[in-house]
Amino acid sequence: MSREKLKSLGLKLPLFPTTSVGSFPKPDYLAKARSEFTKGKITAEQLVELERKATKFWIETQEKLGVDVLVDGEMYRGDMVAFFAERLPGFTEGGLVRSYGNRYYHKPIITGEVEWPGPVTVEWWKYAQSLTKKPVKGMLTGAYTIMDWSFNEHYPDRHATALALAAVVRKEVEALIAEGCKIIQIDEPALSVRPEELPIAIEAMEATTKGLGAYFITHACYGAFEHIYPGMLDLAVDNFDLEMSNNDLALLEIFRRKPFTKDISFGVVDVHSHAMEKAAAVRERVEQALTLLPKDRVWVDPDCGLKTRTVEEAIEKLRLCVAAAKTFRN
Amino acid sequence: MSVASPGLHLSSTGSYPRVGDTHELQLLRRTISGLDRGERTTADVLDAENEITRLAISDQVKAGLDVITDGQIRWYDPISHLAGKLDNVKIRGLLRFFDTNTYFRQPVLTGKPVRGVPLITSEYAFACNALGHLPTPADKAGKLSIKPVLTGPYTLAKFSHAEHPENGEPESFASLESRAMAYAEALALEIESLAQTGAELIQLDEPAAIKFPEDWPIFEQSLAPLVEAREKAIRGGRKVELALYVYFHDCTPLYEKLVGLPVDIVGLDFTYDPKLADFIASAGSPKPLGLGLIDARNTRLEDPEVIAWQIARLMPKIEGGRAYLGSSAGLEYLPRDRAFAKLELLGKVREALNGLKGAAR
Repeated sequence: MSREKLKSLGLKLPLFPTTSVGSFPKPDYLAKARSEFTKGKITAEQLVELERKATKFWIETQEKLGVDVLVDGEMYRGDMVAFFAERLPGFTEGGLVRSYGNRYYHKPIITGEVEWPGPVTVEWWKYAQSLTKKPVKGMLTGAYTIMDWSFNEHYPDRHATALALAAVVRKEVEALIAEGCKIIQIDEPALSVRPEELPIAIEAMEATTKGLGAYFITHACYGAFEHIYPGMLDLAVDNFDLEMSNNDLALLEIFRRKPFTKDISFGVVDVHSHAMEKAAAVRERVEQALTLLPKDRVWVDPDCGLKTRTVEEAIEKLRLCVAAAKTFRN
Repeated sequence: MSVASPGLHLSSTGSYPRVGDTHELQLLRRTISGLDRGERTTADVLDAENEITRLAISDQVKAGLDVITDGQIRWYDPISHLAGKLDNVKIRGLLRFFDTNTYFRQPVLTGKPVRGVPLITSEYAFACNALGHLPTPADKAGKLSIKPVLTGPYTLAKFSHAEHPENGEPESFASLESRAMAYAEALALEIESLAQTGAELIQLDEPAAIKFPEDWPIFEQSLAPLVEAREKAIRGGRKVELALYVYFHDCTPLYEKLVGLPVDIVGLDFTYDPKLADFIASAGSPKPLGLGLIDARNTRLEDPEVIAWQIARLMPKIEGGRAYLGSSAGLEYLPRDRAFAKLELLGKVREALNGLKGAAR
């Protein structure tokens, strides 16, 4: 079914398409420039120039490696929710809250009606797509996750908040499609945190994607999927991009009990480990996937965004993904 | 009034933000970063923890609380801070902590977790000392109480796992039950130690108990050594009570079982089910309750009149007319300024409640 959808969109992808989850590490010069920008030492224009340079580097790198569906690498983003919250009317920057240990972030606060201010990611997508003939994914954060990772002082409850955000995210989806984007990933890492709220996440995703002409992927990770499976398959997307390797393919067990019925971007390398997997171990993970999933439904990628790895590690992890996929194509 | 007197006590529910947006409130963050860069020492970090703990206690006193905690400022997370101090426990990678979008480091048991050193007794003693050095309002002199907080054995066990022995022998602590009972044994010693040091009210956090009701028999069994430790302290002439707190999930389905447990106080999170207050107003409570009516997970400030009205209808239904008003969980999930505003809100609720009582006369 989804192969047909890809074909109808004019996308010819090989078996076991390779992709990545979204973020790549920022090269040293960009990390330094972002720090200098916050201190007022360089201008926004100077920063953007370096972000474009880094984006070009990652597009070229993915092409050299032979990745099939590319991402822009999010060189211009920090936190995946704060990036949108900083740009959408209705949000206010909150004070610092702890993520873990000594890591803190400014958690956004919804203080008014959220609105779409016009395209937020489209210019970056257009720039990345202009650098390659391969498809580049549009990359968005889903309404449920933006709601869950923000404070809310405006809407009456979480359901109303998620639906208001879904209307905003949908406009960004429409803007991407209008510019020719055919594969759009809408990340929902908070999907499993409150299993009882899965219907809200499903309703919000439906409000975001229903009737729109693109191939939709959602990414979720590090959650208790056993509590939301198979219900999560009702999410209005074509492909689930899932972290499989970090938990030793434990998710396959729940697929064994109830078949997985959509396309899957199967995480074959652990992004939270500096250790480099052996090529044979990566191939073994794909083999394991194929014991339960039809080969025309399996995409191959890392578990999650690679931004916490070094540039060299990220490239090597991507290389492993591509090598494994090619083995099975042959 | 003492910590066990009838009436409404304003109480902290545990944690408090470790950083704020001012230079002064960034002290601990700065010092830990300095330690990571090799520019500061662990003694510097301890000094910073002490200072931020003093500020956390000071905020609670300023806001008019009766039952105060040290804000758990020294805790890396609710799991590894305790488990990491036990023998035969290694601390590993990060896992998401409930639905909080925060992470804890997972303990891995290489053998029986054993309490070789006190866990939080010296932290409790420091907090008592710090409170003693703060100016307190005249009407509260000598009446404020520090409440130490422990994560309970079941929650610790639920988020730990056992390592496969390299010699091929079976894992000793592979079962949840064996881990929970081993942790309970260690925590029982800590409860005795805290009671000996003067703690009259000890909070035991068991958020996992309501999230995973299928494990209830294990959770209930793991409480027994802690209750016995309290009994032992009382037999030894100490006055000490155990307050069980549950949060991060709807506790209504388990309410009757929770208030039937052999603890002295049950603290509840009212934010997951708007009908919990109605349920208690109808069913009553056979023991004092912790009323987590203030949302610890959202910055929006509640209307004190509405909260006061809720309390006014609950108090007559609570055995002994004793309750502890606080946030639904620790306040560390909020920015510091909002956390303080929530503390101040507790005092406003008490004023509104007094207003309601006055109007009724």
